[in-house]
Amino acid sequence: MFESLQHLINGFGIAGTGQNLLYCLLGCIVGTIIGVLPGIGPIAGIALLIPATFGLNPTSAIIMLAGIYYGAMYGGSTTSILLNVPGETASVITCIDGYQMAQKGRAGPALAIVAIGSFIAGTIGIFGLVFLAPPLAEAALAFGPPEYFSLMVFGFIVLSNVTGKSFLKSLMMALVGLIIGTIGLDPVSGNARFTYGSVPLLSGIEFVAVAIGVFGIGEVLVNVNQPSELLDQGVLMPRLRELYPSLQDLKKSIGAILRGTGIGFGVGLVPGPAPVIATYASYMIERRISKHPEEFGKGAIEGVAGPESANNSACQAAFIPLFVLGIPFAPPTAILLGALLIHGVSPGPLMISQHAELFWGVIASMYIGNFMLLILNLPLVPLFANILRIPKRILLPLVILFCITGMYTVNNSVFDIWMMLIFGAMGFLMRKWAYEGAPLLLALVLGPKLEVAFRQSLMISHGDFGVFVNRPVSMVFLLLTVIFLLLPVFQIIIKSLKKGGISGVKS
Amino acid sequence: MKRDEIAVGIVIFIFGGITVLLSLKMPIGTFRMAGTGMFPLILGIILMILSGAFVLKIFFQGKEGQVKKEPSPESSESPMQLILFLGAMVLATLFFNQLGYPLTSFLLILSLLRILGIKRWGLNILISVVTAVGSYFLFVKWLDIPMPKGWIGI
Repeated sequence: MFESLQHLINGFGIAGTGQNLLYCLLGCIVGTIIGVLPGIGPIAGIALLIPATFGLNPTSAIIMLAGIYYGAMYGGSTTSILLNVPGETASVITCIDGYQMAQKGRAGPALAIVAIGSFIAGTIGIFGLVFLAPPLAEAALAFGPPEYFSLMVFGFIVLSNVTGKSFLKSLMMALVGLIIGTIGLDPVSGNARFTYGSVPLLSGIEFVAVAIGVFGIGEVLVNVNQPSELLDQGVLMPRLRELYPSLQDLKKSIGAILRGTGIGFGVGLVPGPAPVIATYASYMIERRISKHPEEFGKGAIEGVAGPESANNSACQAAFIPLFVLGIPFAPPTAILLGALLIHGVSPGPLMISQHAELFWGVIASMYIGNFMLLILNLPLVPLFANILRIPKRILLPLVILFCITGMYTVNNSVFDIWMMLIFGAMGFLMRKWAYEGAPLLLALVLGPKLEVAFRQSLMISHGDFGVFVNRPVSMVFLLLTVIFLLLPVFQIIIKSLKKGGISGVKS
Repeated sequence: MKRDEIAVGIVIFIFGGITVLLSLKMPIGTFRMAGTGMFPLILGIILMILSGAFVLKIFFQGKEGQVKKEPSPESSESPMQLILFLGAMVLATLFFNQLGYPLTSFLLILSLLRILGIKRWGLNILISVVTAVGSYFLFVKWLDIPMPKGWIGI
């Protein structure tokens, strides 16, 4: 442990050089801008800037590229809060309560708590990286297809139960999302499915199109459908002292931030879209344990603090499998793997000993990067919050242009814009009839992975469904799913027993 | 509201049914070696069951059990504004490649502002030009993202 601390201190020495500080700052700024712009994700940002790092030494290059990754995660939450347009896939859950906070004139506290939560998560995450990296990465390898399948089923059931007012409606949306996710190429056999000769559909429905459509365009259309006089209003604007979180806000958020950090770190070790899953898991838990769950969906600060901390923490944890095992578990880290190989560094168990300078330098730079993001973004909170002063008559068209442009940049395809508009109309109707978008989006992301896990599990077991219950980890997740499903029944039974007990006592 | 809920439930039921029918046209395979159609078939069946249960639940539910609609009374909605707004977005997308990014941005903002009630042409044109030029420089020049040039070739 002391040896690791010594290495970390050396790492700060490496990351703290003028050159590396500059590259870290550049990465954070570029990443934040990329995160704010919908459509351009960290993958594109990292990929676009790899050539710019050819002249740099490997440590500086990875410091800058890593800065883009977590800077983008940070920036994605800004548009989620202000405009209900998720800048990143992992920022979708922030739209639920963050946007509602902004609508109540509390955009400032929402943005500030994202900065603070991300910083705290980043700080704790650094220590997790240093001390828990090797054993946690080994444990993550124990997950096979049956475990992934059971975990994802558990996630869907739980998420459907904590978003929206109707469990059944949320579950139906999750299934619709899973079905939409089957459009394109069969992930196992490679056969086209539900494409009917359409070439753009071969790659499936773009997640960003659905996310921006359902949340961003849908919200715009809801506003456009309002009486004309309401469009002259900006959002209720707070006084200067209300631009930052109060002591009560901080008290409410700290628990959520710490829990989100733990959840994000654990989930970040699992292959797949870890930041997305981490944010959903955090939201679910915060809502479950809250003394005022009815506030969620209406601007509960815990609903922003927890998921955003989980997001940041998951991004950091994603570096563990990359550096320690040489296995990228998330698409952005896959691009980083490419960057490492280009610079002549082979990540894996020997990386720590052969490239100690790079390993500890990058880890230390993450802490510095989080600090830079806090310094960069906290003063900008009033500026961002003032965007909401713009009357809706002017703001809404700007949001539409923003969405269309961002959408086009994903694949340079007008087809994606059409998809976004279709899902925008669907998002409007979903809002009208109280159907939640979050389960649909999670299902769209996880659907292909769920199918692969399902089919691989059955191939391994030669068609025997027992594979899901014979493996302990999978069994645990399925048991938890059943318990969760039966929880309302238990609660009703306990309530009626208590009532029966009380009336028995009275008589 | 109850009728709306049932209607939406039926639409979702039909969506599930269509998924099942289309999946059956693909190879289903066996559980040991699932075909292309197996997973969407299972999903479609589950969706039909759930939506059917939902419709029945709403049908037999009393008024107090119903979910309240989003707070937006029918009388204060602006359907014509919504239709025109959507129409402008559709037209912009239809001619995006032919008109090019800068011109489409300008025309889109101009028309949307007008639809939402910005009657002063001077203000409208100013906002549209500033937005179009600003987004062009941000995305095309600074971020170097290829955008359609259209007839004007910018």
